[in-house]
Amino acid sequence: MGLGLLASRTLRSARLRTTNFHHLRRSIVSTTELQNAEAAQAQAEPSPADLPPRTPLAGARVHFPNPDDAIEVFVDGYPVKVPKGMTVLQACEIAGIDIPRFCYHSRLSIAGNCRMCLVEVEKSPKPVASCAMPALPGMKIKTDTPLAKKAREGVMEFLLMNHPLDCPICDQGGECDLQDQSMAFGSDRGRFTEVKRSVVDKNLGPLVKTVMTRCIQCTRCVRFATEVAGVQDLGMLGRGSGEEIGTYVEKLMTSELSGNVIDICPVGALTSKPFAFKARNWELKGTESIDVSDAVGSNIRIDSRGPEVMRILPRLNEDINEEWISDKTRFFYDGLKRQRLNDPMIRGPDGRFKAVSWRDALAVVAEVINQVKPSEIVGVAGKLSDAESMMALKDFLNRMGSNNVWCEGNGPQPNADLRSGYIMNTSIGGLEKADVFLLVGTQPRVEAAMVNARIRKTVRATQAKVGYVGPAADFNYDHQHLGTGPQALAEIAEGRHPFCSILMNAKNPCIIVGAGVFERPDKDAIFSIVETIAEKAKAVRPDWNGLNVLLLNAAQAASLDLGLVPESDKSIESAKFVYLMGADDVNLDKIPDDAFVVYQGHHGDQSVYRANVILPASAFSEKEGIYVNTEGCAQTTIPAVPTVGDARDDWKIIRALSEISGVRLPYDTLSGIRSRIKTVAPNILQIEEREPAAFSYSVKPEIRQEISNTTFEAAVENFYMTDAITRASKIMAQCSALLRKK
Amino acid sequence: MATCLRRAVTLARVHQPSILSSSVTKCNFSSTSSSSDALIEVKPGEVGMISGIPEEHLRRRVIIYSPARSASQQGSGKLGKWYINFLSTQKWENPLMGWTSTGDPYANVGEAGLSFDSEEAAKAFAEKHGWEYSSIELSELIP
Repeated sequence: MGLGLLASRTLRSARLRTTNFHHLRRSIVSTTELQNAEAAQAQAEPSPADLPPRTPLAGARVHFPNPDDAIEVFVDGYPVKVPKGMTVLQACEIAGIDIPRFCYHSRLSIAGNCRMCLVEVEKSPKPVASCAMPALPGMKIKTDTPLAKKAREGVMEFLLMNHPLDCPICDQGGECDLQDQSMAFGSDRGRFTEVKRSVVDKNLGPLVKTVMTRCIQCTRCVRFATEVAGVQDLGMLGRGSGEEIGTYVEKLMTSELSGNVIDICPVGALTSKPFAFKARNWELKGTESIDVSDAVGSNIRIDSRGPEVMRILPRLNEDINEEWISDKTRFFYDGLKRQRLNDPMIRGPDGRFKAVSWRDALAVVAEVINQVKPSEIVGVAGKLSDAESMMALKDFLNRMGSNNVWCEGNGPQPNADLRSGYIMNTSIGGLEKADVFLLVGTQPRVEAAMVNARIRKTVRATQAKVGYVGPAADFNYDHQHLGTGPQALAEIAEGRHPFCSILMNAKNPCIIVGAGVFERPDKDAIFSIVETIAEKAKAVRPDWNGLNVLLLNAAQAASLDLGLVPESDKSIESAKFVYLMGADDVNLDKIPDDAFVVYQGHHGDQSVYRANVILPASAFSEKEGIYVNTEGCAQTTIPAVPTVGDARDDWKIIRALSEISGVRLPYDTLSGIRSRIKTVAPNILQIEEREPAAFSYSVKPEIRQEISNTTFEAAVENFYMTDAITRASKIMAQCSALLRKK
Repeated sequence: MATCLRRAVTLARVHQPSILSSSVTKCNFSSTSSSSDALIEVKPGEVGMISGIPEEHLRRRVIIYSPARSASQQGSGKLGKWYINFLSTQKWENPLMGWTSTGDPYANVGEAGLSFDSEEAAKAFAEKHGWEYSSIELSELIP
């Protein structure tokens, strides 16, 4: 038997040498050889010479905060260098060995209660729980010895004892950690003859479905709720076999990050309610894309089956969203199937829309646009527009002679001159280095939930202080409410406020101004006060830029990069031709009654009621488009599903319209329009790279504007409904009805 | 893909030991292979032209990517491979049975049929078929 093992080992190494595998797969062998002492001895003999060096799991990068603190441990005979303070489990991961686990999660605190990660450590009398044991210099860790295997098999037997056998009807089936690991460590028969325990299901709201009998008490969800989401809603009740996860009293889980407990649950206890029984995960095709529901640009995976988006999951990006996404991002996908515009339509004399062909619709628009004066043409890009379409819209209207084109949400007189004046200069990942936050007129929890999660992470880790100026708001971390209007800012700038000393003594102060301020008439004065505060607190230095703007919409940063700035802020009142490219939050009362309104977009939302012509466009899940997020990082969406009906990509519609209007735009491919963007804003084409702003506010001209007494207003009224897609979503409507804080 | 190339190398080794070096060069798809030792030089797009693939499919835009780690599962067995996304969304629900139909022969090739051990191999494959490609950086994990 020992010979057989040795033979297989030599065979494996011979194959490795010829085929040059990059990733060594470690097979978990469930054979009787392992129980044999002789075989175990053969196993223990180190033979590192014939195996390639091991790479960390999933291409992880190992970061040594202090190179002197590296220690060496041996994992299955392989020497690995790990930073001091890492656990045995992390050391094994760096050595390329996946330790089975249920309760351990790298972004949560260590609980050590599932005992699945047991490994054998030399000179230790018992197997140790590797997730809770710090790695010590020279430690000899053995992960596939009979002892470790037997220990894990014992743990697995206890876990499966009370776990229902309902994998065929469980939504987690096929992507379940318990299912996977029971393939390696589970027994083919049970010794438990009593009745299985059953637990009453809890109602956590419209998003998370619970089947609590499946729960294995790993407490990941409890730790997630208290640590990351910052709500004390979930907890552990009872002892022994009566132990349950619950909400103490009958209560919904009111967090904007609650959907993440679905992902971290290693079993099927917490699953997605909207996705329940809709599809099995192996039927789905994943497309790695970008979220557009807020300005963060969370990385997501769109899972689709055929022509339908079935669910949205987070995708790892340490710099932006780590591995969480907000509930809006996760659950607004059902809005993509409702209220869609699928044919070009013209409003007839009777006020009803009639579906027409593209040729007819574009001919009507071209005829009207050529009849009005250039100064009476206005174009508004919407919240969800990509950079390509905004470039095409601006080029088209400029060629028609108008320069009144802007993106909604940027206010009447946007500042597009200084890039540092509208992006998050600290970067989202950089927020973790800040020690004092000053939030000016912004409520990150509803405006950008992932940024709020970062601030909370920093506050939790380093006890950073948070000061807030704005209307009373709900925060999930300790903060000081400094005032509701710009007067509080003036007090801080003049040094009269108690928060001032905290800000001045900070090492890395971070000031975040909300994009809601853009809409205020005194925004220049507010920005100049904020700049005074930043100067006093030394927030902008060569090594640290702590003056930030938190944007609200996915299109904002790119629109300002491309210079979508209106010539005059009163242009819409005198417009005769209004081109709304997905703009649904324009004040429609301002548009004159005799104006001709073209709405190009994917949803029949507010602006459609005023439109004369509708041109159907594709949504973010159906096109390839570049979005720049609030920190200035350009990312691109990737089409996952076909477009609805006769819809086309935004930029293609404008390109076709320009040809019919007689001002042909000089690009007809995606790469063509991208090279045009390159001449205007080259940073937009640096995909997945954050381009910091070159100049800070110091080159700005002096502002002679007085601040007004009006208090700051909340920029986002309802977290769950902010744009055309979320307003069309049924799930988001349920959430607003049940979970919204009143 | 990689397996069939490997097979080609093995076959070449068995039958004509002399062209082994050229086959290996072909395998790596180094476009700058010196003509002195290579018998066959593969220019970008050439393989696509002689393979009998309809011409409209040789002018595609593809995206080369490696799937990110799933947030909902621990396992890492599916990671580390590189795939070609053919951006094929021309699908519709068949009215007869409700099944998904497609008119694109590459619709199911991307994830199911093609995988590469490295980004370079995927790029070389796209290049020799004449596809315009862009690749997405792999997001890294900090343990």
